[in-house]
Amino acid sequence: MPVVTFLPGYRKATVSEGGTILEAAQKAGLQMNVVCGGQGKCGKCIVQVKSGRFSFDSEKFGRVFSPEEIASGFCLACQATVGGDVHVIVPESSLIQEQKILIEGLGIETEFNPSIWKYYLELTPPTLEDPSPDLTRLLWAIQKKGGPVAEKIYAPLEVLQSAPRVLRDSGWRVTATVALVPGGYRLIDLEKGDTSKNLYGAAVDLGTTTIVVYLRSLVDGKVVGVASNYNRQISCGEDILSRVNYAKKHGLEPLQELAAESINQAITTAANNASIDRDDIYEVVVAGNTIMTHILMGIDPAYMIEEPYVPVVRRYLTTSGARVGLEVDRDAGVFIFPAVSDFIGGDIVADILSCGMAEQEEITLMVDIGTNFEVVLGNKEWMFSCAGAAGPALEGGEVLFGMRANPGAIERVSIDPATLTPSYETINHEKPRGITGSGLIDILAELLRACVIDRTGRINTSIENRRIRTGQYFPEYVVAWKGETAIGKDIVITENDIKNLIMSKASVLGACITLMNQAGITREQIDGIAFSGAFGNYINKENAIMIGLIPEVPIERIRNIGNGAVAGANIALINRKKRKVLDEIARNIAYVELNAESSFMDEYTRAAFLPHTDLGLFPKVEKFLDECRLRSREHP
Amino acid sequence: MTDGGSDWSGKIGEVVLGATAADGGTRKVSYRVGGDDDLPFLGGCTSGHRPLVAYEICDDPGLWPQIVRDYCGDLVNDPASWSKAAEREYGADLIRLSLTSTRRRGFSDFAALGKTVHDVLHATGLPLIIEGSNDPQIDSEVFQQCGEAGQGERLLLGTAEAGRYRSVAAAALAYGHGVIAQSPIDINLAKQLNILLKEIGVPLDRVVIDPYTGALGYGFEYSYSVMERIRYSALKGDQDLQVPMISAASDSLNIKEVREAEPAIRDEMAVRWEFYAALPAIVAGAAIVVVRHPGTVKALRDAVEKMWPGEVTANAAQGA
Repeated sequence: MPVVTFLPGYRKATVSEGGTILEAAQKAGLQMNVVCGGQGKCGKCIVQVKSGRFSFDSEKFGRVFSPEEIASGFCLACQATVGGDVHVIVPESSLIQEQKILIEGLGIETEFNPSIWKYYLELTPPTLEDPSPDLTRLLWAIQKKGGPVAEKIYAPLEVLQSAPRVLRDSGWRVTATVALVPGGYRLIDLEKGDTSKNLYGAAVDLGTTTIVVYLRSLVDGKVVGVASNYNRQISCGEDILSRVNYAKKHGLEPLQELAAESINQAITTAANNASIDRDDIYEVVVAGNTIMTHILMGIDPAYMIEEPYVPVVRRYLTTSGARVGLEVDRDAGVFIFPAVSDFIGGDIVADILSCGMAEQEEITLMVDIGTNFEVVLGNKEWMFSCAGAAGPALEGGEVLFGMRANPGAIERVSIDPATLTPSYETINHEKPRGITGSGLIDILAELLRACVIDRTGRINTSIENRRIRTGQYFPEYVVAWKGETAIGKDIVITENDIKNLIMSKASVLGACITLMNQAGITREQIDGIAFSGAFGNYINKENAIMIGLIPEVPIERIRNIGNGAVAGANIALINRKKRKVLDEIARNIAYVELNAESSFMDEYTRAAFLPHTDLGLFPKVEKFLDECRLRSREHP
Repeated sequence: MTDGGSDWSGKIGEVVLGATAADGGTRKVSYRVGGDDDLPFLGGCTSGHRPLVAYEICDDPGLWPQIVRDYCGDLVNDPASWSKAAEREYGADLIRLSLTSTRRRGFSDFAALGKTVHDVLHATGLPLIIEGSNDPQIDSEVFQQCGEAGQGERLLLGTAEAGRYRSVAAAALAYGHGVIAQSPIDINLAKQLNILLKEIGVPLDRVVIDPYTGALGYGFEYSYSVMERIRYSALKGDQDLQVPMISAASDSLNIKEVREAEPAIRDEMAVRWEFYAALPAIVAGAAIVVVRHPGTVKALRDAVEKMWPGEVTANAAQGA
């Protein structure tokens, strides 16, 4: 089938021969302007075919074009049909110009409502007849340019001190930067000449392990650069508890500085790649867990790691870049996502913002799985959250051959139920070195399907197959023979590994069900499950249900929101209206302390079974497993 | 509460213990346990069967409470005679034979087990419960021996646990016996084990739950509450829990209050301690209670007869 390539973005789509360019554009996700609905009447969907065979009836539909344009390939996308691979230029004017920005990896859009603007101003110099002060002249010009009303703009002393020089040196041609800050509009910068295009913001996911930064133009909202790096606080401890303990011993300052440096490092990388001056970054939005954001803001987190686990602040915070050591414009606004509790931080509020839970009638269950997990259940009326320790098994820790998602990690596995021979895929197609979380979930589900393990995860050692054997301490299943691997050892999964995985998955499922019980809803009432974090991107959803990691819902209701924290920060960066609702979201989320919730232990035990002790909660899995058992009895 | 009739949607299933000649066995009596469709002693007379008292003997008295050894004398060295005494003198409903010999390190005399089982079955006409080994290394052989020796007698074999249930289940399936499914004082783990047994082919009408019973004053209240919860769930319709329960507060005679009692009142203390754990267990829903002091058997049977509103002898499922 012909491939249509759209320039300048090189987006591609295939259509059947004789299909229109418009069809292809829609497939490629381009929002073409089609006022008449594709009848060739409105003349809005103009494109230019640069190469390839196509046909277009210019007599009938070509009246909006000049003969030269027809000759150079201009046509209407809705009427032009392709006869082979074509390259098509789509002029900006043919695309719908709604100010909507796609947040990467999310598929959701948000309005473009920045909270900072630049105005290029050509001022009339003062004269004896018009002796109004510099500031008045400046503010009036901003108002005339469509900016805020002059009287409503506050001008800080630093800007005033530099104003007379900047204005006169530039010949009264300046760019003024106005920000909407708590309290009103503020003139935060005055630059010589026209720098109105140089206006950027950064959306930051401040993670315990990783920092992710998105740089966006705040003129049009588009992404100009992305970068990530490790949180340099790792030198003060891997996990968050040891960092707080470090701060108790050595003071908060080194950790605060490392947090700022880590962000600076990522911002610098992104800015350099995009050839942007860091001083043109005027806004930074940060989503992070409660302890991380406390540290960045220089607020002592010491009391958060001991009972009764109280954070100092949970509302959103603002400050300026310079005050927390961020190397951006010194007056750049820094916006920190609010938190729900000690354990449900701004990163989770950002997750909620990006999965849309707080704005929908539909009930969403959002699950963020790492060594710790967070679960939020709710809709725009109510939300319940909880957090707990899942243990490292789902990330490959505490599992003999478990590993993180690095090259050579087995990430997908299926097992032939008759021969018990696995087929697997590794990251980067390298020889296997270990098994990553998604691979472990696959193995568990497949061994269950093949009746190799029972519902408590015990391996049936009476099965005669060379892949099932008793290892040094535990029965085990051989996933890859020595010769296939890059490590010169058989890669196995042991009964103990499986036990750890079941304990991990039981805490997640037990937490989900505890929240469902709190809210009084059944699994049928869950309209969608959203996986946040890298983990969700790789797991096989069917297998996640098969083992009972999450409640059984139809597969199509499960989606991955990827890095929800950075996505939420992006939304808040380009749409200031969303920031307003964050405090409300955070306040509306009830936090359920699992340690204090007596039913949780019960739910945990019930969930420590494959997929769950109450088989009625997993009707599809049950039906499937019944069939598997029948099959295995027929062909033992 | 209901008067006689109940509003529960579920009912405890029945399990048959022991096979009489009519069923191809040699027991003089067989019992149906379970069948209740209400809480114990609340209309239970119309639906369920009278709770049974089992007397427990062993094949290696070295691992048995001193007080029982003192009380029973030489009998403890001969399981067959001991079981005969349990039937004729102590008044037990059934016998539980604990194969304590298998708990010795390096145990390997599997043939002896088969012989003991055979002898006991010969000596008594009561249905028999067998408590086998608890070591996965020898389980298979032990249960195979017991199962075979008791073939056709509809024994109750114990104990299946989540970590080791395949050997017991295999013997029960092969030789037509029932299984005791023991879980550590947790309703969910009890349910899980029943599912595991069901999935390897043991029908639930061959399963009796042992929720594990701590001695009075040593955790008994947890056991009581779990038995209550299991019964409630079963009556509310949880099919995986609709099986009778067995309760054995086996540590009762090893506790300090009994061990350190004045010699003059030691036996009385032992009986009371066993009695006051077993009776509440019955009230919580146990269909079978197991005791070790001969004196406790009569005390319990008397108490049950007084409490039980129906015809007490009608529960033996003669010819079932």
